[in-house]
Amino acid sequence: MKVSSIPSLRSKLLATLSAFVIAGAMQLTPHSTAEDAGNLYNTAVDIRMGERYFERQCSRCHGFDATGNDEAGGPNLTGRLRNASTDVGIFNVIRNGVQGTAMLPVAPDVPDATVWQLVAYIDSLRYDPSSVVLDGDADRGASLFTGKGDCTSCHMVNGAGGRMGPDLSRIGEDNTPEDLLIAMTNPHEEVAPRWWTVRVTGPDGEQREGFRMGEDSFALRIMDQDENLWSFRKSQVQNYQRVEASTMPSYEGELSDSELDDLVAYLFSLRREVLSQ
Amino acid sequence: MKRIICTVLGLACLNPLFAQEDQFSTVITPAFSPITWERLVDARNEPNNWLMYSGTLDSQRYSLLDQINTDNVDQLEMKWAYQIPVIDRAETVPLVVDGIMFITEAPSNVVAVDARTGREYWRYDHEMPDDLRICCGRNNRGVAILGETLFMSTLDAHLVAIDARTGNLLWDVEVAPYDSGYSKTAAPLIVKDKVVTGIAGGEFGIRGFIDAYDPATGELEWRQYVIPGPGEFGNDTWSDDSWKTGGAATWITGSYDPELNQIYWGTGNPGPDWNGDVRLGDNLYSDSVVALDGDTGELEWYFQFTPHDVHDYDSIQIPILADIEIDGEEVPAMLWANRNGFFYTLDRRNGQFLFGKPFASVTWAEGLDPVTGAPIRVPGMAPTYEGIMVSPPIVGATNWYSPGYSQDTGLFYVTSFDGEQEFFKRDEDYEEGERFTGGGGRYTQPMDAFHSAIRAIDPTTAEIEWEFPIMPRSSAGITTTAGGLVFTGSADGYFFALDAETGRELWNISLGRRVHAAPMTFSIDGEQYVTIASGNVVYTFGLDD
Repeated sequence: MKVSSIPSLRSKLLATLSAFVIAGAMQLTPHSTAEDAGNLYNTAVDIRMGERYFERQCSRCHGFDATGNDEAGGPNLTGRLRNASTDVGIFNVIRNGVQGTAMLPVAPDVPDATVWQLVAYIDSLRYDPSSVVLDGDADRGASLFTGKGDCTSCHMVNGAGGRMGPDLSRIGEDNTPEDLLIAMTNPHEEVAPRWWTVRVTGPDGEQREGFRMGEDSFALRIMDQDENLWSFRKSQVQNYQRVEASTMPSYEGELSDSELDDLVAYLFSLRREVLSQ
Repeated sequence: MKRIICTVLGLACLNPLFAQEDQFSTVITPAFSPITWERLVDARNEPNNWLMYSGTLDSQRYSLLDQINTDNVDQLEMKWAYQIPVIDRAETVPLVVDGIMFITEAPSNVVAVDARTGREYWRYDHEMPDDLRICCGRNNRGVAILGETLFMSTLDAHLVAIDARTGNLLWDVEVAPYDSGYSKTAAPLIVKDKVVTGIAGGEFGIRGFIDAYDPATGELEWRQYVIPGPGEFGNDTWSDDSWKTGGAATWITGSYDPELNQIYWGTGNPGPDWNGDVRLGDNLYSDSVVALDGDTGELEWYFQFTPHDVHDYDSIQIPILADIEIDGEEVPAMLWANRNGFFYTLDRRNGQFLFGKPFASVTWAEGLDPVTGAPIRVPGMAPTYEGIMVSPPIVGATNWYSPGYSQDTGLFYVTSFDGEQEFFKRDEDYEEGERFTGGGGRYTQPMDAFHSAIRAIDPTTAEIEWEFPIMPRSSAGITTTAGGLVFTGSADGYFFALDAETGRELWNISLGRRVHAAPMTFSIDGEQYVTIASGNVVYTFGLDD
């Protein structure tokens, strides 16, 4: 993590910053909905202050690294946000809460400047994809995707392609180019439980194998290689086995480095249109 | 009765077929008689009712009802569902008093329904400020009843008394200032002529306490702080002034032994949760069970499960009181599966440690001292700035969800989780009303990669007798019955029954949303029902009529 481990230095810095924050807050209209041009609190120091505040006040529900929390139901804030698409929108969600949900407003005495620093931190978790310069060429990548790479036999993009892997229509939204490269060269690195394999011998004695579409305390649901959907009660199956690995082959060595770069560029371009900030 | 029905239904009375009274599914619910202290002491022998959060003062959650049993539980069917209008997750355990059910809802409301139909008599909506200081959602777990009055904790740290027949507010007292970080979620416990209740806010640097109130007036009768003040024994287990903000919230319901006249209550984590550098020492009485005099609230003994905790291992579990045979001698015991991963059997007369063992994955300690029960720590497991992997994770090997005990099997049942998490430490200064946690935690694997189970533990040996695996991570409580059953739920939305003796699966139903509450059972006119909250719905099941 990015946090300094020299407490005395940090407290001094904090004291200086607090004075700055208070001064800053006084210049702003209290609880402004901030229709002005944008976030004035977006320096590296603001981002760090926002991160500290986030860890302390927000992480219980949104996770220590803002990737969400199944326990508390707080959504992941590192990708596209559900209730806001601009800095002002994020500000308003933090300031006012989201009606009818567990997202409560911050306390009224929290200065606007602190809220803006939080906005800056949340912004820092995402980035403007147009600012990312990649070596590869997205058009060549698209050709590889449908051609030599044969990716469409397993993956769908915008409704076309196979069912044996995740839908990649929006894969660029929540993944960095580095993530995408690792997913192709080392697909076993991180496999979502949805893409684990289950081998199950049903009450009819027949063994079936397929993607783990759903597993809960009492039942299993799989899709086999012929794309049939099967549902089993665990109490009725003879046995079952979980394989927590990916069925995707590694493309390391199968494609050249520049071809992989092209595919990364194509995959990274797969996203919904970004609303202008 | 017949005349009233005819008046209401008008034309239907003209038809002789409909004039037959048994043609109407009219439900006649008896007006309940007041709940005396004697009825609460003897609640087990009144199994048609569920008179307090944990069923009985010993908190065993063991019901003598046996109409639903191992032979017919697979014939259970849904009788009614009640939809909670406020969307959150329900942690309520309803009470049933002579056919009337009292359900608490998020954020701090109560509804009274006919327990046979789920239809409403009245509701009480508690007015609250909107800048609450709550750590973990808008929860309320239930009410207590004495006489004809219900007592409820509220998220703005008040205690309210509500007329059980009308829902009218009788009194409303501030237990502690909410804007300093205090809140209340747990059902109070009636002890004789007092309402005993704890406080939440362990993530906001509060100073924990247990209070007793006059049920008629709401006047504070006594307050026992669970962090000693200056000059008191144990204050020196907190460095500098850290006792003032040391947490030790008492955010779940306790138990009571009428013979020993002792109240038993669990206490929460010391604050800040994950940075112990600012509160050196054992931090008494955080992560402990305290035994208080039933009349004065004075501390009689304590047992600290996790001295100087830095992993948020609250001892917020419900103390189960059971008399068990150890080495040929009957011992008044207290059974405790702790969030820190160890199961303990204590002597509840004096808090003496008898024995204990891990009941889930534990890496922070290698065992318990056989004499004192103190954990034998593994060095280097405290949270760091960079993060360190420790088991159990922050949510614990178990947590606040009620365990159960069966008098038939002599087994203790607990929802357990074998997880691990990276723990982080941060430097934070205390600011009143702000979170004060000093760090946090992060999972590095998908939740589905972990293991969870309902475990049955023999309290005379601390050995696990059987386990029933479920998907991670259940937060449901457990209820046992004389029908040989263990009822509980799962995070993936099942409600189910196991054979209390063997752990064999007997019945399950998918309710579609996380079960985050404990079941309870009751009967009306000899018909047994079992009720569970799942998602935002309260379901009631019974056998085919």
